[in-house]
Amino acid sequence: MKSAAASLWRAIALPLGTIVAMGLLWEAVARGAEISPHIFPPLSAVAVEAWRVGPFLARSVLRTFIETGLGFVSGAAFGILCGVAFALVRPLERALFPIFVVSQTIPVVAFGALVIIWFGNTILSKVVIAFYLTFFPVTVNTHSGMLSVDPQKIQLLRAFGASAVQIFWKLRFPAALPTVAVALRLGISLSLIGAIVGEWFGDTVGLGVMLIQAMYSESVPRLWALIITCGLLGASLYAVVAVIERRVVWWRTDA
Amino acid sequence: MSLSDPVAHKGTRESREVPLLELVNVWKRFGDGPSQVTAVSKVDLKIQPGEFITLIGPSGCGKSTLFNMIGGLLPSDSDGSIVMKGVPQKDGELLGKVSFMPQRDLLFPWRNVVDNAILALEIEGVSKKQAREKALDMLPDFGLSGFEKHYPHQLSGGMRQRVALMRTFLFERELILLDEPFGALDALTRAMMQRWLLDLWQRYKRTVLFITHDLDEAIFLGDKVLVMSARPGTIKCQETIELPRPRESSVVTSEGFIAVKRRLLEAVEEESMKTFSAAEPAR
Repeated sequence: MKSAAASLWRAIALPLGTIVAMGLLWEAVARGAEISPHIFPPLSAVAVEAWRVGPFLARSVLRTFIETGLGFVSGAAFGILCGVAFALVRPLERALFPIFVVSQTIPVVAFGALVIIWFGNTILSKVVIAFYLTFFPVTVNTHSGMLSVDPQKIQLLRAFGASAVQIFWKLRFPAALPTVAVALRLGISLSLIGAIVGEWFGDTVGLGVMLIQAMYSESVPRLWALIITCGLLGASLYAVVAVIERRVVWWRTDA
Repeated sequence: MSLSDPVAHKGTRESREVPLLELVNVWKRFGDGPSQVTAVSKVDLKIQPGEFITLIGPSGCGKSTLFNMIGGLLPSDSDGSIVMKGVPQKDGELLGKVSFMPQRDLLFPWRNVVDNAILALEIEGVSKKQAREKALDMLPDFGLSGFEKHYPHQLSGGMRQRVALMRTFLFERELILLDEPFGALDALTRAMMQRWLLDLWQRYKRTVLFITHDLDEAIFLGDKVLVMSARPGTIKCQETIELPRPRESSVVTSEGFIAVKRRLLEAVEEESMKTFSAAEPAR
Protein backbone atom coordinates (compact mmCIF):
# COMPACT_ATOMS: atom_id res chain seq x y z
CA MET A 1 0.00 0.00 0.00
CA LYS A 2 2.75 2.36 1.04
CA SER A 3 4.74 1.83 -2.12
CA ALA A 4 1.62 2.35 -4.25
CA ALA A 5 1.06 5.68 -2.56
CA ALA A 6 4.71 6.54 -3.05
CA SER A 7 4.64 5.76 -6.76
CA LEU A 8 1.42 7.74 -7.15
CA TRP A 9 3.11 10.66 -5.46
CA ARG A 10 6.10 10.36 -7.75
CA ALA A 11 3.78 10.40 -10.75
CA ILE A 12 1.85 13.51 -9.75
CA ALA A 13 4.56 15.49 -7.92
CA LEU A 14 6.08 17.03 -11.02
CA PRO A 15 2.89 18.11 -12.82
CA LEU A 16 1.55 19.37 -9.51
CA GLY A 17 4.71 21.40 -9.02
CA THR A 18 4.31 22.86 -12.50
CA ILE A 19 0.76 23.93 -11.74
CA VAL A 20 1.77 25.61 -8.49
CA ALA A 21 4.63 27.37 -10.26
CA MET A 22 2.30 28.62 -12.98
CA GLY A 23 -0.13 29.91 -10.38
CA LEU A 24 2.65 31.83 -8.64
CA LEU A 25 3.88 33.21 -11.93
CA TRP A 26 0.35 34.32 -12.81
CA GLU A 27 0.01 36.11 -9.50
CA ALA A 28 3.39 37.77 -9.81
CA VAL A 29 2.86 38.95 -13.41
CA ALA A 30 -0.65 40.29 -12.74
CA ARG A 31 0.52 42.23 -9.70
CA GLY A 32 3.95 43.29 -10.92
CA ALA A 33 3.30 44.30 -14.51
CA GLU A 34 0.62 46.85 -13.70
CA ILE A 35 -1.91 45.32 -16.05
CA SER A 36 -5.44 46.48 -15.40
CA PRO A 37 -7.18 43.84 -13.25
CA HIS A 38 -10.07 44.30 -15.63
CA ILE A 39 -7.97 42.68 -18.37
CA PHE A 40 -5.85 40.24 -16.35
CA PRO A 41 -6.79 39.81 -12.69
CA PRO A 42 -4.37 38.14 -10.30
CA LEU A 43 -5.14 34.56 -9.39
CA SER A 44 -5.97 35.55 -5.83
CA ALA A 45 -8.74 37.84 -7.09
CA VAL A 46 -10.09 34.96 -9.18
CA ALA A 47 -10.08 32.72 -6.11
CA VAL A 48 -11.88 35.35 -4.03
CA GLU A 49 -14.53 35.73 -6.71
CA ALA A 50 -14.94 31.95 -6.94
CA TRP A 51 -15.43 31.79 -3.20
CA ARG A 52 -17.95 34.65 -3.30
CA VAL A 53 -20.16 32.87 -5.85
CA GLY A 54 -19.32 29.49 -4.34
CA PRO A 55 -22.79 28.02 -3.69
CA PHE A 56 -24.09 29.08 -7.10
CA LEU A 57 -20.92 27.78 -8.75
CA ALA A 58 -21.32 24.44 -6.99
CA ARG A 59 -24.93 24.09 -8.15
CA SER A 60 -23.89 25.03 -11.66
CA VAL A 61 -21.12 22.43 -11.71
CA LEU A 62 -23.56 19.77 -10.55
CA ARG A 63 -26.12 20.77 -13.17
CA THR A 64 -23.63 20.86 -16.04
CA PHE A 65 -22.15 17.58 -14.85
CA ILE A 66 -25.55 15.89 -14.93
CA GLU A 67 -26.31 17.25 -18.40
CA THR A 68 -22.93 16.14 -19.68
CA GLY A 69 -23.22 12.72 -18.10
CA LEU A 70 -26.72 12.03 -19.41
CA GLY A 71 -25.83 13.29 -22.89
CA PHE A 72 -22.65 11.25 -22.92
CA VAL A 73 -24.16 8.00 -21.71
CA SER A 74 -27.15 8.17 -24.05
CA GLY A 75 -24.98 9.35 -26.96
CA ALA A 76 -22.43 6.60 -26.38
CA ALA A 77 -25.12 3.92 -26.11
CA PHE A 78 -26.86 5.12 -29.26
CA GLY A 79 -23.53 5.44 -31.08
CA ILE A 80 -22.47 1.91 -30.18
CA LEU A 81 -25.85 0.58 -31.24
CA CYS A 82 -25.69 2.40 -34.58
CA GLY A 83 -22.09 1.38 -35.19
CA VAL A 84 -22.93 -2.27 -34.55
CA ALA A 85 -26.06 -2.10 -36.70
CA PHE A 86 -24.14 -0.45 -39.57
CA ALA A 87 -21.41 -3.08 -39.39
CA LEU A 88 -23.86 -5.97 -39.39
CA VAL A 89 -26.38 -4.64 -41.92
CA ARG A 90 -24.69 -3.03 -44.91
CA PRO A 91 -27.87 -1.60 -46.48
CA LEU A 92 -28.62 0.20 -43.24
CA GLU A 93 -25.18 1.76 -43.33
CA ARG A 94 -25.60 2.90 -46.92
CA ALA A 95 -29.04 4.35 -46.17
CA LEU A 96 -28.27 6.17 -42.94
CA PHE A 97 -24.58 6.89 -42.71
CA PRO A 98 -24.57 9.77 -45.24
CA ILE A 99 -27.37 11.42 -43.28
CA PHE A 100 -25.35 11.04 -40.09
CA VAL A 101 -22.40 12.72 -41.77
CA VAL A 102 -24.48 15.59 -43.13
CA SER A 103 -26.07 16.11 -39.73
CA GLN A 104 -22.62 16.59 -38.25
CA THR A 105 -21.61 19.24 -40.78
CA ILE A 106 -24.28 21.56 -39.36
CA PRO A 107 -22.72 23.53 -36.49
CA VAL A 108 -24.58 22.73 -33.32
CA VAL A 109 -25.30 26.42 -32.63
CA ALA A 110 -27.21 26.58 -35.92
CA PHE A 111 -30.08 24.55 -34.59
CA GLY A 112 -29.63 25.18 -30.89
CA ALA A 113 -32.61 27.53 -30.91
CA LEU A 114 -34.74 24.84 -32.50
CA VAL A 115 -33.76 22.36 -29.81
CA ILE A 116 -34.80 24.85 -27.14
CA ILE A 117 -38.16 25.40 -28.84
CA TRP A 118 -38.74 21.66 -29.15
CA PHE A 119 -37.57 20.54 -25.76
CA GLY A 120 -38.15 23.70 -23.78
CA ASN A 121 -35.82 25.47 -21.40
CA THR A 122 -35.21 22.24 -19.57
CA ILE A 123 -32.30 19.99 -18.80
CA LEU A 124 -33.47 17.79 -21.66
CA SER A 125 -32.51 20.29 -24.35
CA LYS A 126 -28.90 20.40 -23.07
CA VAL A 127 -28.79 16.63 -22.89
CA VAL A 128 -29.98 16.48 -26.50
CA ILE A 129 -27.17 18.76 -27.67
CA ALA A 130 -24.56 16.82 -25.69
CA PHE A 131 -26.03 13.62 -27.12
CA TYR A 132 -25.86 15.03 -30.62
CA LEU A 133 -22.16 15.79 -30.31
CA THR A 134 -21.31 12.44 -28.71
CA PHE A 135 -23.09 9.84 -30.77
CA PHE A 136 -21.37 10.53 -34.06
CA PRO A 137 -17.73 9.81 -33.21
CA VAL A 138 -18.86 6.77 -31.24
CA THR A 139 -20.86 5.50 -34.21
CA VAL A 140 -17.93 5.97 -36.59
CA ASN A 141 -15.42 4.26 -34.34
CA THR A 142 -17.69 1.38 -33.37
CA HIS A 143 -18.39 0.78 -37.03
CA SER A 144 -14.75 0.82 -38.08
CA GLY A 145 -13.74 -1.22 -35.04
CA MET A 146 -16.26 -3.90 -35.92
CA LEU A 147 -15.08 -4.01 -39.52
CA SER A 148 -11.39 -4.14 -38.68
CA VAL A 149 -11.70 -7.54 -37.01
CA ASP A 150 -9.13 -9.98 -38.39
CA PRO A 151 -11.08 -11.99 -41.03
CA GLN A 152 -8.92 -15.04 -40.28
CA LYS A 153 -10.15 -15.04 -36.70
CA ILE A 154 -13.71 -15.00 -37.98
CA GLN A 155 -12.87 -17.94 -40.25
CA LEU A 156 -11.35 -19.79 -37.31
CA LEU A 157 -14.52 -19.42 -35.28
CA ARG A 158 -16.60 -20.49 -38.27
CA ALA A 159 -14.44 -23.58 -38.63
CA PHE A 160 -15.23 -24.37 -35.00
CA GLY A 161 -18.90 -24.22 -35.96
CA ALA A 162 -19.66 -20.85 -34.33
CA SER A 163 -22.95 -19.08 -35.04
CA ALA A 164 -23.09 -15.42 -36.07
CA VAL A 165 -24.21 -14.51 -32.56
CA GLN A 166 -21.26 -16.34 -31.01
CA ILE A 167 -18.86 -14.66 -33.44
CA PHE A 168 -20.31 -11.31 -32.43
CA TRP A 169 -19.99 -11.74 -28.68
CA LYS A 170 -16.76 -13.71 -28.57
CA LEU A 171 -14.87 -11.83 -31.24
CA ARG A 172 -16.35 -8.84 -33.05
CA PHE A 173 -17.53 -6.89 -30.05
CA PRO A 174 -14.48 -7.29 -27.81
CA ALA A 175 -12.18 -6.68 -30.77
CA ALA A 176 -13.92 -3.37 -31.48
CA LEU A 177 -13.69 -2.13 -27.89
CA PRO A 178 -10.26 -0.44 -28.10
CA THR A 179 -11.46 1.63 -31.06
CA VAL A 180 -14.72 2.43 -29.29
CA ALA A 181 -12.80 3.56 -26.22
CA VAL A 182 -10.90 6.17 -28.26
CA ALA A 183 -14.22 7.65 -29.35
CA LEU A 184 -15.56 7.66 -25.80
CA ARG A 185 -12.63 9.77 -24.62
CA LEU A 186 -13.35 12.18 -27.43
CA GLY A 187 -17.08 12.00 -26.72
CA ILE A 188 -16.86 13.03 -23.07
CA SER A 189 -15.08 16.27 -23.99
CA LEU A 190 -17.58 16.99 -26.77
CA SER A 191 -20.43 16.23 -24.43
CA LEU A 192 -19.26 18.88 -21.98
CA ILE A 193 -19.04 21.41 -24.80
CA GLY A 194 -22.56 20.44 -25.87
CA ALA A 195 -23.95 20.95 -22.38
CA ILE A 196 -22.30 24.36 -21.96
CA VAL A 197 -23.37 25.57 -25.41
CA GLY A 198 -26.87 24.30 -24.68
CA GLU A 199 -26.98 26.43 -21.55
CA TRP A 200 -26.09 29.55 -23.55
CA PHE A 201 -29.48 29.37 -25.20
CA GLY A 202 -31.10 30.03 -21.89
CA ASP A 203 -31.43 28.66 -18.39
CA THR A 204 -30.94 29.81 -14.84
CA VAL A 205 -28.19 27.58 -13.58
CA GLY A 206 -25.16 25.90 -15.12
CA LEU A 207 -21.59 26.77 -16.08
CA GLY A 208 -22.73 28.00 -19.50
CA VAL A 209 -25.27 30.29 -17.89
CA MET A 210 -22.64 31.71 -15.54
CA LEU A 211 -20.23 32.22 -18.45
CA ILE A 212 -22.81 34.28 -20.33
CA GLN A 213 -23.64 36.29 -17.23
CA ALA A 214 -19.97 36.98 -16.49
CA MET A 215 -19.46 38.02 -20.09
CA TYR A 216 -22.32 40.54 -20.03
CA SER A 217 -21.32 41.96 -16.66
CA GLU A 218 -17.68 42.01 -17.79
CA SER A 219 -16.62 40.31 -14.59
CA VAL A 220 -13.21 39.06 -15.70
CA PRO A 221 -12.29 37.39 -12.38
CA ARG A 222 -15.48 35.35 -12.55
CA LEU A 223 -14.80 34.43 -16.18
CA TRP A 224 -11.44 33.11 -15.12
CA ALA A 225 -12.96 31.23 -12.22
CA LEU A 226 -15.42 29.63 -14.64
CA ILE A 227 -12.76 28.81 -17.21
CA ILE A 228 -10.74 27.02 -14.54
CA THR A 229 -13.83 25.24 -13.23
CA CYS A 230 -14.78 24.07 -16.72
CA GLY A 231 -11.23 22.82 -17.19
CA LEU A 232 -11.31 20.93 -13.91
CA LEU A 233 -14.70 19.38 -14.70
CA GLY A 234 -13.56 18.39 -18.20
CA ALA A 235 -10.33 16.89 -16.89
CA SER A 236 -12.13 14.93 -14.17
CA LEU A 237 -14.68 13.52 -16.60
CA TYR A 238 -11.92 12.58 -19.02
CA ALA A 239 -9.99 10.92 -16.20
CA VAL A 240 -13.03 8.84 -15.19
CA VAL A 241 -13.53 7.62 -18.76
CA ALA A 242 -9.82 6.89 -19.14
CA VAL A 243 -9.70 4.88 -15.90
CA ILE A 244 -12.74 2.83 -16.92
CA GLU A 245 -11.18 2.29 -20.32
CA ARG A 246 -7.97 1.01 -18.80
CA ARG A 247 -9.95 -1.44 -16.69
CA VAL A 248 -12.09 -2.77 -19.50
CA VAL A 249 -9.81 -2.53 -22.52
CA TRP A 250 -6.49 -3.32 -20.95
CA TRP A 251 -5.03 -5.63 -23.57
CA ARG A 252 -2.53 -4.69 -26.22
CA THR A 253 -3.90 -4.83 -29.73
CA ASP A 254 -0.74 -6.01 -31.46
CA ALA A 255 -1.92 -9.62 -31.45
CA MET B 1 18.56 -50.71 -46.61
CA SER B 2 16.35 -50.35 -43.64
CA LEU B 3 13.91 -48.38 -45.71
CA SER B 4 11.25 -51.01 -45.80
CA ASP B 5 10.37 -51.73 -42.26
CA PRO B 6 6.75 -52.32 -42.99
CA VAL B 7 4.51 -51.39 -40.14
CA ALA B 8 2.39 -54.48 -40.23
CA HIS B 9 -0.95 -53.11 -39.13
CA LYS B 10 -0.97 -50.35 -41.66
CA GLY B 11 -1.57 -52.46 -44.74
CA THR B 12 -4.50 -54.25 -43.20
CA ARG B 13 -5.97 -51.03 -41.85
CA GLU B 14 -6.13 -49.35 -45.24
CA SER B 15 -7.99 -52.16 -46.86
CA ARG B 16 -10.40 -52.74 -44.02
CA GLU B 17 -11.68 -49.32 -43.02
CA VAL B 18 -13.68 -46.64 -44.76
CA PRO B 19 -11.43 -43.61 -45.27
CA LEU B 20 -11.96 -40.89 -42.70
CA LEU B 21 -11.83 -38.33 -45.46
CA GLU B 22 -11.91 -38.75 -49.18
CA LEU B 23 -11.53 -36.05 -51.80
CA VAL B 24 -12.83 -37.03 -55.20
CA ASN B 25 -12.00 -34.80 -58.16
CA VAL B 26 -12.02 -31.62 -56.10
CA TRP B 27 -11.66 -28.34 -57.99
CA LYS B 28 -11.71 -24.72 -56.98
CA ARG B 29 -11.94 -21.93 -59.52
CA PHE B 30 -12.19 -18.24 -58.69
CA GLY B 31 -13.88 -15.71 -60.98
CA ASP B 32 -15.50 -16.17 -64.35
CA GLY B 33 -14.58 -16.02 -68.00
CA PRO B 34 -11.07 -15.14 -69.13
CA SER B 35 -10.01 -13.84 -65.73
CA GLN B 36 -10.88 -17.13 -64.08
CA VAL B 37 -8.15 -18.54 -61.87
CA THR B 38 -8.00 -22.21 -61.06
CA ALA B 39 -6.55 -22.55 -57.59
CA VAL B 40 -7.02 -26.27 -57.12
CA SER B 41 -7.63 -28.83 -59.82
CA LYS B 42 -8.56 -32.47 -59.77
CA VAL B 43 -7.44 -33.40 -56.30
CA ASP B 44 -8.02 -37.01 -55.30
CA LEU B 45 -7.01 -37.94 -51.83
CA LYS B 46 -7.79 -40.53 -49.19
CA ILE B 47 -7.01 -40.21 -45.52
CA GLN B 48 -7.32 -43.28 -43.30
CA PRO B 49 -8.14 -42.98 -39.61
CA GLY B 50 -5.02 -42.41 -37.52
CA GLU B 51 -2.81 -41.44 -40.43
CA PHE B 52 -0.39 -38.54 -40.42
CA ILE B 53 -0.38 -37.07 -43.91
CA THR B 54 1.88 -34.24 -44.91
CA LEU B 55 1.26 -32.05 -47.91
CA ILE B 56 4.08 -30.12 -49.50
CA GLY B 57 4.08 -27.71 -52.40
CA PRO B 58 5.41 -24.37 -53.60
CA SER B 59 3.89 -21.24 -52.13
CA GLY B 60 0.74 -20.12 -53.88
CA CYS B 61 -0.06 -23.62 -55.09
CA GLY B 62 -3.49 -23.69 -53.52
CA LYS B 63 -2.62 -25.58 -50.33
CA SER B 64 -4.50 -23.14 -48.17
CA THR B 65 -7.46 -23.15 -50.56
CA LEU B 66 -7.57 -26.92 -50.28
CA PHE B 67 -7.44 -26.63 -46.51
CA ASN B 68 -10.22 -24.11 -46.38
CA MET B 69 -12.36 -26.45 -48.44
CA ILE B 70 -11.69 -29.38 -46.12
CA GLY B 71 -12.42 -27.16 -43.12
CA GLY B 72 -15.77 -26.21 -44.66
CA LEU B 73 -14.85 -22.54 -44.98
CA LEU B 74 -14.88 -22.55 -48.75
CA PRO B 75 -17.26 -24.53 -50.94
CA SER B 76 -15.55 -26.76 -53.47
CA ASP B 77 -16.71 -26.57 -57.09
CA SER B 78 -19.65 -28.75 -57.87
CA ASP B 79 -17.81 -31.21 -60.14
CA GLY B 80 -16.15 -32.99 -57.23
CA SER B 81 -17.01 -34.07 -53.75
CA ILE B 82 -15.59 -34.25 -50.29
CA VAL B 83 -16.64 -37.40 -48.49
CA MET B 84 -16.34 -37.88 -44.76
CA LYS B 85 -16.70 -41.41 -43.40
CA GLY B 86 -18.55 -42.36 -46.55
CA VAL B 87 -20.96 -39.44 -46.42
CA PRO B 88 -20.64 -36.71 -49.08
CA GLN B 89 -20.51 -33.27 -47.47
CA LYS B 90 -22.55 -30.39 -48.83
CA ASP B 91 -21.41 -26.77 -48.66
CA GLY B 92 -20.85 -25.64 -45.11
CA GLU B 93 -21.57 -29.06 -43.65
CA LEU B 94 -17.93 -29.55 -42.73
CA LEU B 95 -17.96 -26.52 -40.43
CA GLY B 96 -17.42 -27.75 -36.91
CA LYS B 97 -16.43 -31.27 -38.03
CA VAL B 98 -12.73 -30.74 -38.54
CA SER B 99 -10.23 -29.30 -36.11
CA PHE B 100 -8.58 -26.52 -38.00
CA MET B 101 -5.41 -24.63 -37.26
CA PRO B 102 -4.30 -21.87 -39.63
CA GLN B 103 -0.73 -20.63 -40.04
CA ARG B 104 -1.04 -17.75 -37.60
CA ASP B 105 -1.85 -18.57 -34.00
CA LEU B 106 -4.86 -16.17 -34.01
CA LEU B 107 -4.97 -16.01 -30.22
CA PHE B 108 -7.38 -13.48 -28.74
CA PRO B 109 -5.36 -10.85 -26.85
CA TRP B 110 -8.04 -10.40 -24.19
CA ARG B 111 -8.08 -14.09 -23.27
CA ASN B 112 -5.42 -15.79 -21.19
CA VAL B 113 -3.81 -19.10 -22.15
CA VAL B 114 -6.54 -21.31 -20.72
CA ASP B 115 -9.39 -19.23 -22.07
CA ASN B 116 -7.80 -19.14 -25.50
CA ALA B 117 -7.40 -22.90 -25.44
CA ILE B 118 -11.06 -23.52 -24.58
CA LEU B 119 -12.45 -21.26 -27.28
CA ALA B 120 -13.73 -24.10 -29.44
CA LEU B 121 -15.20 -25.92 -26.45
CA GLU B 122 -17.07 -22.79 -25.44
CA ILE B 123 -18.54 -22.58 -28.92
CA GLU B 124 -19.65 -26.18 -28.63
CA GLY B 125 -21.54 -25.22 -25.50
CA VAL B 126 -19.32 -26.88 -22.88
CA SER B 127 -19.49 -24.95 -19.62
CA LYS B 128 -16.53 -22.71 -18.93
CA LYS B 129 -15.74 -24.48 -15.70
CA GLN B 130 -15.66 -27.92 -17.28
CA ALA B 131 -13.71 -26.67 -20.27
CA ARG B 132 -11.12 -24.99 -18.07
CA GLU B 133 -10.64 -28.14 -16.02
CA LYS B 134 -10.01 -30.09 -19.18
CA ALA B 135 -7.55 -27.49 -20.43
CA LEU B 136 -5.68 -27.37 -17.12
CA ASP B 137 -5.19 -31.14 -17.29
CA MET B 138 -3.70 -30.77 -20.74
CA LEU B 139 -1.32 -27.91 -19.96
CA PRO B 140 1.68 -30.09 -19.02
CA ASP B 141 1.45 -32.03 -22.29
CA PHE B 142 1.76 -28.77 -24.15
CA GLY B 143 4.62 -27.45 -22.06
CA LEU B 144 2.51 -24.66 -20.67
CA SER B 145 2.34 -25.57 -16.97
CA GLY B 146 2.33 -22.43 -14.87
CA PHE B 147 1.39 -20.24 -17.79
CA GLU B 148 -2.38 -20.70 -17.59
CA LYS B 149 -2.96 -17.12 -16.47
CA HIS B 150 -0.57 -15.54 -18.97
CA TYR B 151 -1.80 -13.47 -21.87
CA PRO B 152 -0.66 -13.94 -25.47
CA HIS B 153 1.59 -10.87 -25.52
CA GLN B 154 3.55 -12.35 -22.61
CA LEU B 155 4.41 -15.54 -24.51
CA SER B 156 7.13 -16.45 -26.99
CA GLY B 157 6.25 -17.44 -30.55
CA GLY B 158 6.70 -21.14 -29.81
CA MET B 159 4.48 -20.97 -26.76
CA ARG B 160 1.79 -19.08 -28.60
CA GLN B 161 1.85 -21.76 -31.26
CA ARG B 162 1.48 -24.43 -28.57
CA VAL B 163 -1.55 -22.62 -27.15
CA ALA B 164 -3.06 -22.59 -30.63
CA LEU B 165 -2.30 -26.31 -30.98
CA MET B 166 -3.86 -27.00 -27.63
CA ARG B 167 -6.98 -25.15 -28.76
CA THR B 168 -6.97 -27.39 -31.84
CA PHE B 169 -6.56 -30.60 -29.83
CA LEU B 170 -9.21 -29.62 -27.30
CA PHE B 171 -11.66 -29.39 -30.18
CA GLU B 172 -12.00 -33.14 -30.28
CA ARG B 173 -12.46 -34.05 -33.91
CA GLU B 174 -10.91 -37.07 -35.55
CA LEU B 175 -9.29 -35.03 -38.28
CA ILE B 176 -6.87 -32.23 -37.49
CA LEU B 177 -5.80 -29.80 -40.20
CA LEU B 178 -2.54 -28.02 -39.55
CA ASP B 179 -1.48 -25.31 -41.97
CA GLU B 180 2.27 -24.68 -41.61
CA PRO B 181 1.96 -24.43 -37.85
CA PHE B 182 5.71 -24.14 -37.34
CA GLY B 183 6.43 -21.94 -40.35
CA ALA B 184 7.19 -18.83 -38.33
CA LEU B 185 9.42 -20.52 -35.73
CA ASP B 186 13.20 -20.64 -35.64
CA ALA B 187 14.86 -23.89 -36.69
CA LEU B 188 15.66 -25.16 -33.19
CA THR B 189 12.21 -24.51 -31.78
CA ARG B 190 10.73 -25.99 -34.90
CA ALA B 191 12.67 -29.28 -34.56
CA MET B 192 11.61 -29.55 -30.96
CA MET B 193 7.99 -28.85 -31.80
CA GLN B 194 8.01 -31.50 -34.53
CA ARG B 195 9.13 -34.25 -32.18
CA TRP B 196 6.68 -33.05 -29.60
CA LEU B 197 3.83 -33.05 -32.13
CA LEU B 198 4.56 -36.65 -33.09
CA ASP B 199 4.52 -37.60 -29.46
CA LEU B 200 1.21 -35.84 -29.01
CA TRP B 201 -0.26 -37.42 -32.12
CA GLN B 202 0.57 -40.88 -30.87
CA ARG B 203 -0.81 -40.18 -27.44
CA TYR B 204 -4.07 -38.59 -28.53
CA LYS B 205 -4.61 -40.86 -31.57
CA ARG B 206 -5.85 -38.34 -34.07
CA THR B 207 -5.66 -38.13 -37.81
CA VAL B 208 -3.54 -35.29 -39.08
CA LEU B 209 -3.26 -33.48 -42.38
CA PHE B 210 -0.26 -31.22 -42.15
CA ILE B 211 0.72 -28.55 -44.69
CA THR B 212 4.33 -27.50 -44.93
CA HIS B 213 6.81 -26.14 -47.41
CA ASP B 214 9.72 -27.83 -45.70
CA LEU B 215 10.55 -31.21 -47.21
CA ASP B 216 12.50 -32.48 -44.19
CA GLU B 217 9.55 -31.67 -42.00
CA ALA B 218 7.15 -33.40 -44.37
CA ILE B 219 9.18 -36.63 -44.40
CA PHE B 220 10.03 -36.58 -40.72
CA LEU B 221 6.42 -36.26 -39.64
CA GLY B 222 4.40 -38.09 -42.24
CA ASP B 223 3.15 -41.60 -42.89
CA LYS B 224 2.65 -40.34 -46.38
CA VAL B 225 3.94 -37.26 -48.17
CA LEU B 226 1.82 -35.69 -50.89
CA VAL B 227 3.50 -33.32 -53.31
CA MET B 228 1.33 -30.60 -54.75
CA SER B 229 2.07 -29.06 -58.12
CA ALA B 230 2.36 -25.37 -58.87
CA ARG B 231 -0.93 -23.63 -59.57
CA PRO B 232 -3.38 -24.94 -60.51
CA GLY B 233 -2.61 -27.14 -57.55
CA THR B 234 -3.10 -30.83 -57.84
CA ILE B 235 -1.51 -33.86 -56.20
CA LYS B 236 1.52 -34.49 -58.36
CA CYS B 237 2.84 -37.55 -56.60
CA GLN B 238 2.86 -39.24 -53.24
CA GLU B 239 5.31 -41.27 -51.27
CA THR B 240 4.65 -43.58 -48.35
CA ILE B 241 7.25 -43.08 -45.65
CA GLU B 242 8.19 -46.39 -44.09
CA LEU B 243 10.58 -45.01 -41.50
CA PRO B 244 9.95 -46.73 -38.18
CA ARG B 245 8.23 -44.89 -35.37
CA PRO B 246 8.87 -43.44 -32.89
CA ARG B 247 11.22 -41.34 -34.97
CA GLU B 248 14.26 -39.79 -33.38
CA SER B 249 15.67 -36.56 -34.70
CA SER B 250 18.67 -38.51 -36.01
CA VAL B 251 16.41 -40.24 -38.49
CA VAL B 252 16.92 -37.34 -40.90
CA THR B 253 20.48 -38.57 -41.50
CA SER B 254 19.50 -42.19 -42.13
CA GLU B 255 19.86 -43.77 -45.53
CA GLY B 256 16.16 -44.40 -45.81
CA PHE B 257 15.35 -40.76 -45.14
CA ILE B 258 17.92 -39.53 -47.64
CA ALA B 259 16.65 -41.87 -50.32
CA VAL B 260 13.08 -40.67 -49.93
CA LYS B 261 14.22 -37.09 -49.80
CA ARG B 262 16.20 -37.48 -53.01
CA ARG B 263 13.14 -38.78 -54.83
CA LEU B 264 10.81 -36.10 -53.49
CA LEU B 265 13.23 -33.22 -53.82
CA GLU B 266 13.22 -33.49 -57.58
CA ALA B 267 9.44 -33.29 -57.73
CA VAL B 268 9.24 -30.42 -55.27
CA GLU B 269 11.96 -28.39 -56.92
CA GLU B 270 10.44 -28.81 -60.34
CA GLU B 271 7.19 -27.32 -59.06
CA SER B 272 8.96 -24.54 -57.20
CA MET B 273 10.77 -23.56 -60.38
CA LYS B 274 7.45 -23.37 -62.22
CA THR B 275 6.09 -20.99 -59.63
CA PHE B 276 9.29 -19.00 -59.74
CA SER B 277 9.38 -18.60 -63.50
CA ALA B 278 5.70 -17.80 -63.68
CA ALA B 279 6.66 -14.81 -61.52
CA GLU B 280 3.22 -14.50 -60.09
CA PRO B 281 2.64 -12.80 -56.81
CA ALA B 282 2.40 -15.49 -54.16
CA ARG B 283 -1.09 -16.55 -53.16
